Amino acid sequence: MDQNNSIPAFQGLASPQGAMTPGVPIFSPMMPYGSGLTPQPVQNTNSLSILEEQQRQQQQQQAQQANAGLPGTSGQTPQLYHSQTVAGSTTTALPGNTPLYNTPLTPMTPITPATPASESSGIVPQLQNIVSTVNLGCKLDLKTIALRARNAEYNPKRFAAVIMRIREPRTTALIFSSGKMVCTGAKSEEQSRLAARKYARVVQKLGFPAKFLDFKIQNMVGSCDVKFPIRLEGLVLTHQQFSSYEPELFPGLIYRMIKPRIVLLIFVSGKVVLTGAKVRAEIYEAFENIYPILKGFRKTT
Amino acid sequence: MASTSRGDALALPRVTCPNHPDAILVEDYRAGDMICPECGLVVGDRVIDVGSEWRTFSNEKALKDPSRVGDAQNPLLNGGDLTTMISKGTGAASFDEFGNSKYQNRRTMSSSDRAMLNAFKEISTMADRINLPRNIIDRTNNLFKQVYEQKSLKGRANDAIASACLYIACRQEGVPRTFKEICAVSRISKKEIGRCFKLILKALETSVDLITTGDFMSRFCSNLGLPKQVQMAATFIARKAVELDLVPGRSPISVAAAAIYMASQASAEKKTQKEIGDIAGVADVTIRQSYRLIYPRAAELFPPDFKFDTPVDKLPQL
Repeated sequence: MDQNNSIPAFQGLASPQGAMTPGVPIFSPMMPYGSGLTPQPVQNTNSLSILEEQQRQQQQQQAQQANAGLPGTSGQTPQLYHSQTVAGSTTTALPGNTPLYNTPLTPMTPITPATPASESSGIVPQLQNIVSTVNLGCKLDLKTIALRARNAEYNPKRFAAVIMRIREPRTTALIFSSGKMVCTGAKSEEQSRLAARKYARVVQKLGFPAKFLDFKIQNMVGSCDVKFPIRLEGLVLTHQQFSSYEPELFPGLIYRMIKPRIVLLIFVSGKVVLTGAKVRAEIYEAFENIYPILKGFRKTT
Repeated sequence: MASTSRGDALALPRVTCPNHPDAILVEDYRAGDMICPECGLVVGDRVIDVGSEWRTFSNEKALKDPSRVGDAQNPLLNGGDLTTMISKGTGAASFDEFGNSKYQNRRTMSSSDRAMLNAFKEISTMADRINLPRNIIDRTNNLFKQVYEQKSLKGRANDAIASACLYIACRQEGVPRTFKEICAVSRISKKEIGRCFKLILKALETSVDLITTGDFMSRFCSNLGLPKQVQMAATFIARKAVELDLVPGRSPISVAAAAIYMASQASAEKKTQKEIGDIAGVADVTIRQSYRLIYPRAAELFPPDFKFDTPVDKLPQL
């Protein structure tokens, strides 16, 4: 838990869903400027408002601690994901500001949407797909697997792997003769792991000495809706080095965020698809980074 | 005395004026002299002129190029090509006893640039099919040369890179062509051209402006044979529709096609959706979709001084 001002990156939050620690949030007075790699919204850089924000966040965070526990459900997300400081830490980097700004101006209520400075969106991206790989640790005979297993298809002329599906969790696996397996379609990390184990058990029951080595999540896809239409032309003008918007090729804007390294597909309707993450936190962080920018390009009509 | 002053594109000779060593010498190509601009001293003389031998008035090669020393050197594009090729030979003496031609070896010419020259030829052919002017072709050649030298897209087919460079050049010159129009003159699929396009923008670290509906109006309307008033009306309708955000998320080409349809249906020259779809490269269901979006507010979209042949309420409703 660093209060390290040399890394002024704007990190929204770590992993709210069933995570133990709040991660490494870095809270810096330089937050609105950020590093060049993290997209920054055009904000008013009045330091007074920033300090006020910090103050309010601290108070909410203390109020939150009084509630105790990480709910982990989307119902309470507006408070949870707003916290910028680590639980228990109340130091900000600015010296001597506490007595000045602890005024009745900052109520101990959840965030009001009126402030222009950074605040949480209150929207949590939902995970739609998780791709993971695992090594079963032994060579497999795909023909016997295809013949004896249920819900397996194998067409060596088309693709050199057995495609197996299970109903619960609804996933698809590609099983290769080297013993490596790719599992796709799960909606959460635990489900992906569980599904991979089920496939490994199926292979084991067919007589192969299957193990469960090196399970790794390779890609996570999430999607969410910001609930307002977006001016993609404006976004591509200002964030030219990250965005690619070619209506002839694809109706959405492809935003390649550098930190974290996530690709976002942003559509006119306000729907956003985030992909390329290895951990859930990256998806949340990316969305928290992009949300203020999208708000700046909201269609006004 | 007409003097041309070459910039730094050609290497300056190492001679300098003895009195003014840092004066940039001015080259007089007609007399073959290098002249000091400060004192007028002729410093180098009998400089070989690398321009073309005499003026030829056709841009491309005539049947017989009368130049005896070859084309004008194009230093920007080739690698300073100073090789000699032995040509096929005329007359009986060039054939040996078996009927094969002597001096068969005429193949080795700048093998490193051969692919580039092929690509330039391909670019020229493609551009000629859609009647693109010289400046776009030159820009395309330059882009291709930059991409080729960078080698970051080395694995891709040269034709695909050439097509994508042509697309980018048209965009940069302010007269964008749709991907489908480039596809029509190239053997590469739209998907591959699109991929190469994005890769080239990344490799050259440039960007292009977003396309607008107005970029295509003059071309589509003149291909359809619509008069100027209809073209201006269609331009106005498309711009107004985008401003009023009646067609969010639609490709500008589709909106332009729908605007042309509405304008032509309101005028004396009515065109069907199929005809417009053929010219614009848009499916007629797409035109129908976009038309349905702009139809409800058709009255506001027309320019105020438009002469209606068919009034707004009689416009077809699909």
